[in-house]
Amino acid sequence: MSFHHLDQYAHIESPITHTPPVVRLLGTVVVAVGAAALPLGAWGHMAVLALLVGLIALLARVPARVMLLRVSGPLAFVVLASTAVLFLVPGQPVFHAGPVVVTDAGLLRFGSAIGRAVVALGAAVILVSTTGFPDLVSAFRDLRLPRVVTTSLGLAYRLLYTLVDEIERIERAARSRNVGAGARRRRQLAVGIAATALTRSFARGERTYRAMLARGYHGEMPSLRTRRVDVNSLIGLGLLTVTVLATTISAYMIR
Amino acid sequence: MANLIEITDLAYRYPDGTPAIDGISLSVESGDRVAILGPIGAGKSTLLLHLNGLLLAQSGSVTVDGMKVTGETVREVRRRVGLVFQDPDDQLFLPTLLEDVAFGPLNEGKAPREAAARAHGVLADLGLAGSEGRAAHHLSGGQKRLAALATVLVSRPRVLVLDEPTGNLDAEGRAKLVRLLQERDETLVVATHDLEVARALCSRCVVLDRGKIATQGDSARLLDDASFLQQHRLTVPLGDRALRGSTGTRSPKNPHNH
Repeated sequence: MSFHHLDQYAHIESPITHTPPVVRLLGTVVVAVGAAALPLGAWGHMAVLALLVGLIALLARVPARVMLLRVSGPLAFVVLASTAVLFLVPGQPVFHAGPVVVTDAGLLRFGSAIGRAVVALGAAVILVSTTGFPDLVSAFRDLRLPRVVTTSLGLAYRLLYTLVDEIERIERAARSRNVGAGARRRRQLAVGIAATALTRSFARGERTYRAMLARGYHGEMPSLRTRRVDVNSLIGLGLLTVTVLATTISAYMIR
Repeated sequence: MANLIEITDLAYRYPDGTPAIDGISLSVESGDRVAILGPIGAGKSTLLLHLNGLLLAQSGSVTVDGMKVTGETVREVRRRVGLVFQDPDDQLFLPTLLEDVAFGPLNEGKAPREAAARAHGVLADLGLAGSEGRAAHHLSGGQKRLAALATVLVSRPRVLVLDEPTGNLDAEGRAKLVRLLQERDETLVVATHDLEVARALCSRCVVLDRGKIATQGDSARLLDDASFLQQHRLTVPLGDRALRGSTGTRSPKNPHNH
């Protein structure tokens, strides 16, 4: 499964992987919020934040090719969702594309949305590339997210793999008996597979709950995590926050 | 010696009314090693769920270590009876192996440090040291089985109840698990189709068929009785003397086709 290796850089020795997950998570939030807070058309400041993200990726030893690949997927959705502003925001016409007119204000907003998204997605990609999901869940716990949320995330993560394994098994069995089927038949098959997988996931959930009860679960999810945040990580997070804040504030001051 | 488990006239019906087990009475003494044998649908898993209080008796009773299994006693019963499920993926539900193994002690109220220390110890005993931070889906089938066992052993139960412990294991994994279980001191109740495993682990066999006890007795005697095993739809072990007359080859039904 492709998502097996999302956190493939989590086990590489780097200054980033040495910081506690909660610090990495907070750093990502700082960069993402800083990018989102930049004013429209602050291209130079967006470039500064993008360079900062690039530097962190370098420290985390996440290759540029991996960064680009992982950013490009979600970025395509941002591009798709932002395309409408090109035509809908009133302003001076820049060029005509058939019946629709692209305005300068629309172009400015579109470009700004893409620039901000590149920075925020870059930070998020570094986070998920260097942090295993269990550590992410523990970071959420450290941030005092409700236990029911973090537990649900942990269980969902674990069950996702068993569910995907089951879907793969069902799909393989279906394909082996479905040689040369047309597109319509394949669509019907996909619906059938989804329904079967859903039914099985309910059964799986029931069995897992029994296994929890058998080991003394009584409605309160216990936690093992007691990770401490060291001073160096806090200094690193502080420096990052100051840099992002300075970049964002200077973008407003220059205007 | 007092019976550690005492089952008296236990019956259970599924919600649709189908009887799963019907009038089972069984005693297990401390230190006993009992195999529950029977074909699919015989009621083995349903019986095991009663031992841990996951199912409560609809009629009859189950007593563990002197406590009748009821809603009030079920937490204490679960401390004493460790149940290992048939599919380890059901049992390993937390993001890391260490969290999964420490889950039981934490539920018992142990401090995180003590729970973690116990979990590390059990994982090391089972040869899984170094896997503490791994997720279950990164383990092999054999490692998952051992990990599922670790999640139960960590609570130091008096009775180990295993549901098809060697399912989906290769020969090496199966032998390793059997050796490991042979070295344990806990009272053992094993539901299995694997007659060789039953013979290797258990001195006593209880044969279930259609929700009732067909017979029980000494493993060596019962497992050598090929006609009895066939009569109760149990697989005769491959390589058993009873099958040695058959070579596994057969003549074609229609020789003219060749």
